Amino acid sequence: MDLKPSATAVSMNAVPPYGHVIINAKWRGSTLVQNFKGRVKTIFEDELGVVDLHLSNRSCVLYVSESDLVAGNDYKRKIVRFRNSNSKLSGIVIVEKTCLSEQYFSGLQKFVVLELGLTLLPVASPAEAAQLIEQMVHGESKESPFRKKSMSRLLDPVVLNLVQKIPGVGKVKAMALLKKFCSIYEISNASVKELEPVVGQAAAQQIWGFFHNQFS
Amino acid sequence: GVSIIRAPASPCVSILVDSHCISSGAEIVSSLRLKHGAAVQVCSLVNCDFIVSNRMAVEWQSESDMANPQNRKRLQDRIQSLQALFDRVCFIVEKDRTKPGEPLQSFQRSRYYDSTVAALVRAGIRLLVSQGPEDTAALLAELAHVELRKGQAICVPLEVKGPQLQALQFYLTLPCVTYISALCMCHRFNSVNHLVSSSLDALQAGVFISRSRAEEIYRCLHYSCDTTLI
Repeated sequence: MDLKPSATAVSMNAVPPYGHVIINAKWRGSTLVQNFKGRVKTIFEDELGVVDLHLSNRSCVLYVSESDLVAGNDYKRKIVRFRNSNSKLSGIVIVEKTCLSEQYFSGLQKFVVLELGLTLLPVASPAEAAQLIEQMVHGESKESPFRKKSMSRLLDPVVLNLVQKIPGVGKVKAMALLKKFCSIYEISNASVKELEPVVGQAAAQQIWGFFHNQFS
Repeated sequence: GVSIIRAPASPCVSILVDSHCISSGAEIVSSLRLKHGAAVQVCSLVNCDFIVSNRMAVEWQSESDMANPQNRKRLQDRIQSLQALFDRVCFIVEKDRTKPGEPLQSFQRSRYYDSTVAALVRAGIRLLVSQGPEDTAALLAELAHVELRKGQAICVPLEVKGPQLQALQFYLTLPCVTYISALCMCHRFNSVNHLVSSSLDALQAGVFISRSRAEEIYRCLHYSCDTTLI
């Protein structure tokens, strides 16, 4: 693979095939990789810059271990370098949140999620990280069940419902109003005189008042 | 522990809380008001737990509820409807509470839990992890402050009175309208007719919503019903 020199923070052309991750060569032989147990296939690469793993769907992982978190600020520099690279990759920070590193977590969350707008996912151990990464890799081919569905709904029942929210208007009067005036806009702009033959005098006053009474 | 009272130097933020959260989230509401100086209104938000800005909704669940596959359908439905209604959706996962005297149970992550996390991330939901009610309140206040800096903070009164109450129920029936949009409609238009007769531009600016949402509302207000189809 033709990668840019190591001076760049993020490699833009690291796109692993499905079921694979491209992983920074420094992870060779690590507990994380051992825990993949072949369920995630790994391609080792030297020139990934600050990124630890590339997943296939244009997202990548920056790994912050327990000792990184306790030791200090290097991980922050790494995350900021990633952020400043403007790589268009979505960055996921996986952090080992343990008894030892727990006290640093809330500061890290504020920094990563609220200030930088990246994703932060805590795990308790490299084994948990491996399981989470496995789910991310295997979910890539599936449409997320949490995506919004574009719903093109019929407006007729919505409008009928709206008319029935006018005080004093039930289903019968709502139907009569829509038969005569067709839309909310036209009902709203009808005079009491125009409303009276449709719904009677009292309701006509009430409907007109609902639309025209000033709130202040 | 000793609680630090935040100096009211930071401007006050407004947060809406769903009435269903009151039994389990009373501590959050108190902490938001007393510690973080937030204006909090409890009301029926129906499809989300908190609204922290004109465009951001927050769903709040315990770790064990999220890990329970029986809640899968409900979670999917709620997140999908939030995604359709709000530009930004956050998800706060709160650590389960242990009662005093109970042994500390460590949470076991299942494949289901991890696949849910992965799917939420893929859908662009912002995940936040909370250690407990105090932490959840701090995160909500923080989110509201971030939105304030971005010019999206809730800027209308959280309460409605008198004839505005009927108008609110009417507005909430419109498509694409969230509780916060309906509140803006109540406070930024003099009457229901003022809103109904507004131009598309006036609607978009008055309610702080995207063009496409404004278009959908406008279309509904002007839509000619065929009563023979109902």
